[in-house]
Amino acid sequence: MANSGTAEFIRRHPTIVAGAALLTLIALAAIFAPLIAGDPLVFEPINRLRGPSNTFWLGTDSLGRDVYARMVYGARISLLVGLSVAFIAVLSGSLVGLLAGYFEKVDAVVMRLMDGIMAIPSILLAIALVALLGASVKVVIIAIAIPEIPRVTRLVRAVVLTVRGLPFVEAARSNGTRIAKLLRRHILPSTIAPLIVQATYICASAILTEAGLSFLGAGTPPEFPTWGNMIASSRLYLQIAPWTIFAPGICLALVVLAVNLLGDGLRDRLDPRIARRM
Amino acid sequence: MKTSRRKVLSAGLATAALAGIGAPYITRAQQKPPRQARMVPQGDLNVLDPIWTTQNMAAYHGAMMYDTLFGIDANFRPQPQMVGRTDISTDRKTYTFELRPGLKWHDGTAVTARDCVASLRRWQAKDGAGQHLFARVTDTPVVDEKTFRIVLSEPYGLLLDALAKTSTPLCVMMKAEIAATDPNTQITKHIGSGPFRFIESEYRPGSRVVYERNADYVPRSEPASGIAGGKRVLLDKVIWDIIPDAQTAASALMAGEVDFYELPPIDILPTLTAAPGIKVEVFNKLGSVGQVRLNHLHPPFNNLSARKAAQLAINQEDIQRAAVGNPAYYRTCGSHFACDSAMGVEDGSEVLMMKAPMAQRQARARELLKESGYDGKPIVVLHATNIHVMNQTVLVVAQQLRQVGFNVQLASSDWGGVVTRRANQNAPEQGGWNVFYTFSGGNSTASPISLFAHAATGRKAWFGWPENASIEQMRTEWALASGLEARRAVAQRLNKTMMDYVHDVKTGQWVQPHAYRGDRLRGFLPIPENIPWWNVERYA
Amino acid sequence: MLSYIARRLLGVIPVMLVVGIFVFSLLHLAPGDPAAIIAGDNATEANVARIRASLGLDRPLLEQFGSWGWATLRGDLGVSMFSNIAVTKLVEQRIGPTVSLALTTMLVAISVAITLGILAAWKAGSLLDRAVMALAVTGFSVPVFVVGYILVYFFALQWHWLPVQGYVPLSEGLWPWLRHLVLPSIALGMAYVALIARITRASMLEVLAEDYIRTASAKGVATLPMLLRHALKNAAVPIVTVIGIGVALLMSGVVITESVFNIPGVGRLVVDAISRRDYPIIQGVMVIFAAVYVIINLAIDILYSFIDPRIRYS
Repeated sequence: MANSGTAEFIRRHPTIVAGAALLTLIALAAIFAPLIAGDPLVFEPINRLRGPSNTFWLGTDSLGRDVYARMVYGARISLLVGLSVAFIAVLSGSLVGLLAGYFEKVDAVVMRLMDGIMAIPSILLAIALVALLGASVKVVIIAIAIPEIPRVTRLVRAVVLTVRGLPFVEAARSNGTRIAKLLRRHILPSTIAPLIVQATYICASAILTEAGLSFLGAGTPPEFPTWGNMIASSRLYLQIAPWTIFAPGICLALVVLAVNLLGDGLRDRLDPRIARRM
Repeated sequence: MKTSRRKVLSAGLATAALAGIGAPYITRAQQKPPRQARMVPQGDLNVLDPIWTTQNMAAYHGAMMYDTLFGIDANFRPQPQMVGRTDISTDRKTYTFELRPGLKWHDGTAVTARDCVASLRRWQAKDGAGQHLFARVTDTPVVDEKTFRIVLSEPYGLLLDALAKTSTPLCVMMKAEIAATDPNTQITKHIGSGPFRFIESEYRPGSRVVYERNADYVPRSEPASGIAGGKRVLLDKVIWDIIPDAQTAASALMAGEVDFYELPPIDILPTLTAAPGIKVEVFNKLGSVGQVRLNHLHPPFNNLSARKAAQLAINQEDIQRAAVGNPAYYRTCGSHFACDSAMGVEDGSEVLMMKAPMAQRQARARELLKESGYDGKPIVVLHATNIHVMNQTVLVVAQQLRQVGFNVQLASSDWGGVVTRRANQNAPEQGGWNVFYTFSGGNSTASPISLFAHAATGRKAWFGWPENASIEQMRTEWALASGLEARRAVAQRLNKTMMDYVHDVKTGQWVQPHAYRGDRLRGFLPIPENIPWWNVERYA
Repeated sequence: MLSYIARRLLGVIPVMLVVGIFVFSLLHLAPGDPAAIIAGDNATEANVARIRASLGLDRPLLEQFGSWGWATLRGDLGVSMFSNIAVTKLVEQRIGPTVSLALTTMLVAISVAITLGILAAWKAGSLLDRAVMALAVTGFSVPVFVVGYILVYFFALQWHWLPVQGYVPLSEGLWPWLRHLVLPSIALGMAYVALIARITRASMLEVLAEDYIRTASAKGVATLPMLLRHALKNAAVPIVTVIGIGVALLMSGVVITESVFNIPGVGRLVVDAISRRDYPIIQGVMVIFAAVYVIINLAIDILYSFIDPRIRYS
């Protein structure tokens, strides 16, 4: 019975399953990186730009670092960037959105603020932040997250505005239910589904944005591997040492693909209408 | 002769066209080649005042549109350029210069002695060598329209060398009213007397700079040599295309969209040379010298043993291999004044250049570090990530310092961030730093007084702020010494003192080949720290 | 209708105020010293200090903000700290390439994406649908600069069909102008195609499921023309919304694409300015970009209210 249930789930939601499986695989690699790969930081310059071999499965980069080890460890930071950005954006965005949607006075001020942030091109904002505050994983995460917040805020606010008018919420309100409880009990749950979907897209685009920032010289510090900065710092070697760019490039594409598949699947399953409108 | 050659050429190309190859090139080959060249320079020209800033690109611009009184020739000797006759008094304290005839500004007016004196005054306010010289200048009288003097309080053997220098800021001549601009304010009018005119209407900072031949320019009769001699302009137009992305610039050169790529990354040279017509050549034999600057104001590097530990930890070979790649283009070097230069002495460099196995050096470094009382506090290493050589070098330096027991913390940012932070004299935890890396041109490095980084005047010195009275005393002694041999002898003592004191740590020297369309251009002049476009000819 | 437009126009003021305060404080509160960069590598601290004073960077922050804000309101965005050229003039020099790239990209992307989206919706669940969607997701997953390099390698270096880099203004001829924009538009359009194709497909499917479409198809109206006439009209609102969001996406993408293809546009102007800490340019361009974004979205909102009058009152 359980087996046929699983099979049925796979048949009905192939994208969720494929995306989740791929992500699990990558996450496992990230978690068990020390067991399956060597040190991603140390190097001997004499070994630079070596092709794939028994010692270096995927060759070495321009400093002589092991591309395979960096690729595996890169999963850690790339996923960390993607997940943290999604987490920060969704958390702060939904908090602001809940408040804005519920309190009309807050709404006007906050939404103008959000419109303002949204109006500044996200990549320029991010480059400026990284350039001025220095490149660290923390700064990059914040720099990518800030421009995402307004979109989440808008989404949550829209849901809150819809839900607030529903009879059962009206009833609870007139019964004198405390605001915090009202928000938590009645309004928050309706926002969960679209938020999860939104979070997957933010995660995928954060990983890509980090690569773009690295290209522009404003990404995560090159010492610690992310797929983005591996691609960006190897772009010079596209012709002479293609392995330095293909390994992280394929990983990046795969993980963005996986997250997108998962997002699409969840969107169709959880709440088609609201998510699709966004 | 010419016609027949072209006929043959176009016949050959017509066959090629029939075969369906090289179609875009036919029309171009049949016409006379345009007398123009496009260069991808090392950076953007965003400041047009070669005195106000010491950015390299401003010096390039200066050499194009302005002229100098003297110029360094291929053997690094100063030769007259705008000056026709030089008289030196017997006490060697009065220099009389007479301008050669026919010098004209780009607006058509004649160049006067008054213009030159005003320009000298503005230049010396900004230039290290100029300041050193003018500390001994008592007067600069204008004698007549074409003649002026420099009067010294004591003989100064390097006077002509200073006026002839090729590195930034060049001693370029401007019109008197423009040279009257405060040296700390940018000039707003651009009128030179040099071999090329700057076309201001086509100037797009960050994108393109355009120069046209100055038809009024009268070159000297001597053949061109270095930045001296006859500057014969054989091109009508020179365009600088600013292309920041190396991959794109390389592709543009291979496709023939540009003719000259100044700083191709050495790693991709094999790709470039594989393309037909591209020639790779080194013009500046002295290249660049890398240095790790240690902050002398704060622990641990306010302590000599800690600095010596860093000196032992640095392995030039590994650094150069990672930063430059091909051993044909780099060398290890134990001189503070650029190896292969006239002052390239290596006295006292035994520690830095020690041939002992790395493990042995590292063991000794660890001992020294212990003696210094280093407590394992993180040392902040500034790390510019957007300049290839800097990025690679700093990553290697960080690993080498870690291997001897330093707790290295990389502060990564773009070069702009490093420039801002390196000026901060506070302790590292209050926005300062412990280590940063930069490189300077071998030619300017070769002079103990020209390069500000050689100064050891404490907080008034260059970033790192080394303070050492005997270094300062020897620098002056060097400038006042007469003759190459005497100066070399001072340089030997100076190099040893700087090595023992660990003024900074040299990381090696490398030359930067340029890549250009040898199938179109010829006649480049090897000049340190500049790319002149006179004498260059477009022949196809 | 008019009062709606007036209300929306007034709403622009606080938004731009937020942008101004945000951008200014970002630059001036964070460490960064244009004077040190201007002076060059061999400059003394005293030189740097004098340059700093000549640029007015040593004045109190509030004073700097006040004079900047007031000047900006009058349309004066200041002069570049490096080249001494007015920011408005620099932007004017650079706007042509950026607008050209944005327009061609949008044209390529929208035409390709809507076609793909409709095809996918029309044959929903088929192999064609899956192929289109797979393509869309892939387009979304590869960094713009990697796509750019690959395109250059084949189309410019191997086959010599198109130039590697650069930009030629339209005034020098339609073909030279277009030639230089083909590869950048494709590279930049990829992500954009993906986004619009997906949304088009989704909204088409939604509309296709509605009763009157089913009625129409039962009546035997030919499939594709029917699809276009009925469905696309109804799906227009969500598609236009996405194009609005896409404008922001495009602006970000332009920055990278301009670097890869060496297009002297506004994006590169500001990236260079950031790396040099040329404050007037950074501030000016950010404000201009933000204004453009706000105006486009305003236009789209007003457009909606024509397409679907219900929106006006909500």
